[in-house]
Amino acid sequence: MKTKYILGFVLVMAITLSLGAYSATLGKSELVHFWVAVPAGNVTAPMVLRGAGPPISMSPIVIDLQSRGVLKNLLQPQLEGLSTHWIYNLGKKPVKVKLNLANVPPDIAVDWEVNSGFEFDAATHTFKTPLYPGGSVPNLGIDWVFHIPAYYMDEPVIYDGGLEVIDADTGAVLTFIPIKFVNGAASSSATQGGSCH
Amino acid sequence: MNAKETLIRNRWRYISFVVGFFLFVAPFALFTRAVYLIVGNTAEPTLHSVCFRMPIDWIFGGRFYSIFGSSWFMAAFVFGVIISSIFLGAAFCGWLCPVGAVSEAISRAVPIPNKFRLRIRDTKLTMSMRYGFLVGFIAVAALVGYKLASDQLGSICCRYCASSVLQNFASALFGDLSAIEYWQSGAIISLLFWLVIGGLFMSGGRGWCLFFCPLGAFSGLAHKLGARLGFYRIEHKPESCNGCNKCQDVCPMWAIKEDHNIERTLCVNCKECVHACDAYKLIRGRKIADS
Repeated sequence: MKTKYILGFVLVMAITLSLGAYSATLGKSELVHFWVAVPAGNVTAPMVLRGAGPPISMSPIVIDLQSRGVLKNLLQPQLEGLSTHWIYNLGKKPVKVKLNLANVPPDIAVDWEVNSGFEFDAATHTFKTPLYPGGSVPNLGIDWVFHIPAYYMDEPVIYDGGLEVIDADTGAVLTFIPIKFVNGAASSSATQGGSCH
Repeated sequence: MNAKETLIRNRWRYISFVVGFFLFVAPFALFTRAVYLIVGNTAEPTLHSVCFRMPIDWIFGGRFYSIFGSSWFMAAFVFGVIISSIFLGAAFCGWLCPVGAVSEAISRAVPIPNKFRLRIRDTKLTMSMRYGFLVGFIAVAALVGYKLASDQLGSICCRYCASSVLQNFASALFGDLSAIEYWQSGAIISLLFWLVIGGLFMSGGRGWCLFFCPLGAFSGLAHKLGARLGFYRIEHKPESCNGCNKCQDVCPMWAIKEDHNIERTLCVNCKECVHACDAYKLIRGRKIADS
């Protein structure tokens, strides 16, 4: 076999592995994907919730905007997103799930882009179908896109809030996942939490 | 062959590209919508609903349960495409795939001189690179899936997704401008490689298909197997060949070898060579080659 074929093979394989490595860093800072399960209470540290369905790992999410890719920081620094494809009910009774992003500053607009196998009320951010124990919202895709004004970009902490998963019938907060957007060295904690599949 | 001639000779394939767009890309996604309707799924189908990569990632990452879960349709589609390639060649890639169709169409529509476009004439080199990607893709899926390097590596399925970029543009085209609002670095890289480098600056516009599509790579292997078994394929008849190399110029997948035979792992049965030269014949039905 000629050397050039081996080189071609190895080169593209190496590029692919490098893309995998780059993906790992991007996955922690751009459009972070995370899992959601109820009822987990306040997720103050990495945890694995066990119950009616599969074990679900969750942790507080800290996104360091300075850890994002060069292209993102160069071309579109003021937009950052979060995403989930997984909302599970690990409890013992059916829950009508309502979502809320807590503590969003009024000048940071957040777009909700939701696609789901359950009907979703965009006004109240509530799934109209109850989620039964052990079940998950089918074919779910939720992206939250944060529009960060330029004057926030130098702040050490840009957003300090979280995702509340609420029982729509009782108003009780079943799970709270803290979410923080920080700005590089100005913050004390490294990027943690979240994954991309 | 001028552009008008190309358009007329390949009209059925270009019509098929449009059909593929309507079948898989939202807001139409008619194929997926029909399946969702039958199974009672109320989700809004998009090109993502038939991801060309994730089921392959699940298999090699040990997530077999995902194949039988709520995403069974995605898995059935991908395995259907691969299995059909045994009998029909990589027809999905050549005739229906919206991702390949768009980059090929853009490549043909934008008149960039050939000297600025990359083409590898050595099919073995193209093949080595294509399967270098596939092995890398499988390695990443396994290393991440089995948690052998899940801190160092991330899945490349969703992070670098040309389907997602295409779907976002299509959604924006049909009124949902928010679809192209957010760009992550991986999507920008995908856009650059799929449409700019792989589309505009690679001859034939199929750079993404050649070097970054695991479904295409598996379909190519399935087609090679099918052709060996005598199924649907294009054959070169050396006695009718005058060595003009027109076939090499028109093949968007760089699948024509130096001796003008076809490298099956690259061929998508687009029939561009059949239309360009009488030395190529389509073999339908099960027929073992004479030589």
